[in-house]
Amino acid sequence: MKNILILGFITLLFSACEKPMQWQAVKQLDLGSITPIGIAPSEKGLWLADGDHNQVIEIDFEGNVLQKIDSLERPMHISYHDNTLYIPEYGSDNILKINDGQKTTLSISDSLDAPAGVDISGDEIVIADFYKHRVLFYDGKEWKSIGKKGKANGEFHYPTDVQLFNDKIIVADAYNHRVQIFDKSGSHLTTVGHLEGMNAATGIFVTDKQIYTTDFENNRVLIFDWEGNVMQTLTENIQKPTDILVHENNLYVINYKGKSMNVYKVLK
Amino acid sequence: MKNIILIISLFTSFLFSNSINAQSKDMDNFTVRVDGLGCPFCAYGLEKKFKELKGIKKVTIDMETGIMNFKFPTADVLSIETIEEQVEKAGYTPVSVKITRADGKEENSETQKTIVNNESILKDATFPVGGNCDMCKARIEKAALGTLGVTKANWDKESEVLSISYDENQTNPTSVEIAVAKSGHDTKNNKAKNSTYEDLPACCLYRDN
Repeated sequence: MKNILILGFITLLFSACEKPMQWQAVKQLDLGSITPIGIAPSEKGLWLADGDHNQVIEIDFEGNVLQKIDSLERPMHISYHDNTLYIPEYGSDNILKINDGQKTTLSISDSLDAPAGVDISGDEIVIADFYKHRVLFYDGKEWKSIGKKGKANGEFHYPTDVQLFNDKIIVADAYNHRVQIFDKSGSHLTTVGHLEGMNAATGIFVTDKQIYTTDFENNRVLIFDWEGNVMQTLTENIQKPTDILVHENNLYVINYKGKSMNVYKVLK
Repeated sequence: MKNIILIISLFTSFLFSNSINAQSKDMDNFTVRVDGLGCPFCAYGLEKKFKELKGIKKVTIDMETGIMNFKFPTADVLSIETIEEQVEKAGYTPVSVKITRADGKEENSETQKTIVNNESILKDATFPVGGNCDMCKARIEKAALGTLGVTKANWDKESEVLSISYDENQTNPTSVEIAVAKSGHDTKNNKAKNSTYEDLPACCLYRDN
């Protein structure tokens, strides 16, 4: 009897450990007139790209505005690394770098047509080049163009967001309604979310265990494991989501239409 | 010294004011209302494509109202038809165009409206039409209402069904289906041309394959 109880306890403990992480909504912050498209961490809170109003805004975790950078040309999916904010300007075909108030433009050997997303890791840079249906990747030495217009694996239909993660490049292939994963030589590795009926996979964020994507037209956020299995679907109070971020144990989802930001914590 | 500063200041103001007048005399003002700007990526794309027109200045687009304003050189005589074509080429639906020429003359686009009279026989019809988003809705309804005889059109995004009211003496559902298919949207009995479909904005591409 004692052995059975011990076995039962171990089984229970094991099953509890295996339970996938689940996010629970904590609050929704009203962003006022801000129509958020991109989100990135900042020193004091979060950066939000407000494409409609041509500005990037730093807010604290309660939604209070700390500073504004204006006169931009349609800022999209931004990135923040080593005290530098990277802003893809969809309207001017530039990647703007802002460090300590100083603005410079990223030098690129090829021309962009509506850059929609950027990410940086060390010397590496990756850019979603929306109208050219490709991703540009700088490996620290040279630029490589990945993909072309199409529906096959390795091809894109209006990519809108990108992320570098370890040895991989993850791409929100927005209007093929899926997420694609590449190695850094540009070879396609796998596709995620193509079976879930998404309609415009506009924003992505990845962690070591999960792949997050916004499903813009369906007002959802889908969370996958790296094998492409759906781990969780968020739908409540989501209105045309454009980007997501996991930062300091919180999940942030920004709602373009709802002009708001949802905050989630891990369900314990 | 005071007088010299005053004279210089007045002279500078005079030059500045003349320069503004000269500029406004050379430029026509345009206000274009576009329907269905739901997806920011596509809407900013419309703005971007207009900015590529040589000579265009001060392009602004208000996402909430769908109103785009810009200035264009008077000498190049940009017409309402050309603007509507440009908007449609980009896959969007122009609702109205207002031009204020540099000399103050105004031009407005006119929408064809069906006239209902005592002899009209009003009927309703519904049929499936493929589409995805609010931009699709604007385009489908405009194509239907552009058919003489159609008095009402409403496309439901969820069910992908178009409901119309029409005067049987002036048109029939088949004609409306043809007009809608010409705009890039497949109906029950008419498939849109592939070339037209492929020119739709990214968020409007509704076919599975």
